[in-house]
Amino acid sequence: MVFWVELLIAGVVSGLVIGLVALAITLVFGIARFPNAATGDTMTLGAYGALAGHAATGSLLLGGALGALGGAVTGLAAYALVFRRLSGRSTVALLVASIGIGFILRAGLALAFGHTQQVFQAPLVRPWRFEGVRIHPNDLRLAATAAFALAVVFATLYLTPIGRRMRAVADDPALARVCGISPVRVMVALWLLAGAVAGIAGVILGMRTVVAPEIGWDMLLPGFAAAILGGIGSPVGAVVAGLIIGIAQEMATPVVGFTYKIALAFVVMLFVLLVRPRGLFGRVEGVR
Amino acid sequence: MTLLAVEHLSGGYGEVDILTGIDLVLARGEILTVAGTNGAGKSTLAKALVGLLPRVSGRILFEGEDITAAPTEARARLGIGYVPQVANVFPSLSVVENLEVVEGVAAPRARIAELFDTFPALAQRRRARAGSLSGGERQMLAFARALMTRPRLMVLDEPTAALAPALVAEAFARIRGLPALGAAVLLIEQRARQALAISDRGAVLDGGRVALEGTAQTLLADDRAAALYLGQAH
Ligand SMILES: Nc1ncnc2c1ncn2[C@@H]1O[C@H](COP(=O)(O)OP(=O)(O)O)[C@@H](O)[C@H]1O
Ligand SMILES: [Mg+2]
Repeated sequence: MVFWVELLIAGVVSGLVIGLVALAITLVFGIARFPNAATGDTMTLGAYGALAGHAATGSLLLGGALGALGGAVTGLAAYALVFRRLSGRSTVALLVASIGIGFILRAGLALAFGHTQQVFQAPLVRPWRFEGVRIHPNDLRLAATAAFALAVVFATLYLTPIGRRMRAVADDPALARVCGISPVRVMVALWLLAGAVAGIAGVILGMRTVVAPEIGWDMLLPGFAAAILGGIGSPVGAVVAGLIIGIAQEMATPVVGFTYKIALAFVVMLFVLLVRPRGLFGRVEGVR
Repeated sequence: MTLLAVEHLSGGYGEVDILTGIDLVLARGEILTVAGTNGAGKSTLAKALVGLLPRVSGRILFEGEDITAAPTEARARLGIGYVPQVANVFPSLSVVENLEVVEGVAAPRARIAELFDTFPALAQRRRARAGSLSGGERQMLAFARALMTRPRLMVLDEPTAALAPALVAEAFARIRGLPALGAAVLLIEQRARQALAISDRGAVLDGGRVALEGTAQTLLADDRAAALYLGQAH
């Protein structure tokens, strides 16, 4: 029993990371209308940003903030330099461009930091024990960080004027312009937000495990699986589905083994695409 | 005083010209009906006026200013309100958010309160998602949304098409009241006779150009217009 509870806790934490990745993917898909394959590598950049920030300041908090900022700047730069110029082009053109951006980020990070895995040099803390269940204070802090990031994103989307504009553009970009909404302003906000979310996901992943040039790219499949399971374009769906996939992966590990847990995301993605393409929270009228 | 002048306007979605040289003028506070058969180019003309047609040539002057190349959002802020024929609300936004989202409104809270007074049915459903509204309620919301900026020109694309017959007369009455609120109206309608009855002038489009133009009375009395474009009297 204790074993499964510990797996559940691990699942929630990795589910929050997957949820953040899926959120970044689904925001871009809903508003800019293409699957952004650079999301994973934006994550990686966030992890390295945090590593560098931590090394420079000695503060995990400042390091994490730098990672989030790095992600936001990367998102904005990708928009300003590439995606903006391709706006109006086909989804495939944008997807291919994003794969290219991801490759450049990954190669650049490998060049700058090397291929060897790095870890955050944080003091080891004993896990707490509740009824025999071990809980790592570090996991708790990271889960709280993820929850805080999610709260900020949802408050932005649903309680602020810029969030309302973003949702309007997601619904109908032409009608949004008829209402006087400047598409560029919304896109700038979108890419800052999605980039920061991906950056924070990378920070959390890096602090929990290791930092290496491939960590974000490897998260792309579970991220897309969660975005699709949640209903592409649905922010709430992305987070819920991220948790479902994270928990399912961890709980399945003793059964299917560590190497195959990633396949679970793939199975989920195929199953949803075949059986219920609009996912858990997908909107019927959103399909145009 | 001329509010809108359209000069030799041509354009389309791709290579093909859908509009083939349109000339039109609209005076301040005037209601102009634009009629024509299906596919005549009425909706395309509306899109060209608000800047949503990918390719145009010719000129569009609004209050004497050349807006031919102005982006859609700039035209909205200049005071052109537009209610598209379809997809005219944000379905996942609530009713009140559909109004709040409009930019360039001086005192948005007060304006929304005013519009809720004018459209009590919307006020009752202010927290409902627009996607859950009936066809008539959606049309009302789209109309209110376009009025947020107190526009000087309202471009209405078949505003009565989605309405139950019982609501049509009420809709025409509201449109009739727009000039008193400071807006001229370009009214695209299939129900051309009812539209002309509340209009100052009318124009009939055919093949992307203006085939007939005149005062509402002359068009209503014109046998050619009646037979070809306006449908039989009933
Ligand atoms: N989005 C579009 N892309 C390409 N052609 C279009 C589009 N919308 C309309 N058309 C074409 O433009 C012509 C005029 O259409 P439209 O302006 O909608 O006519 P109306 O509103 O008078 O019925 C039609 O031949 C139609 O097929
Ligand atoms: Mg039409």
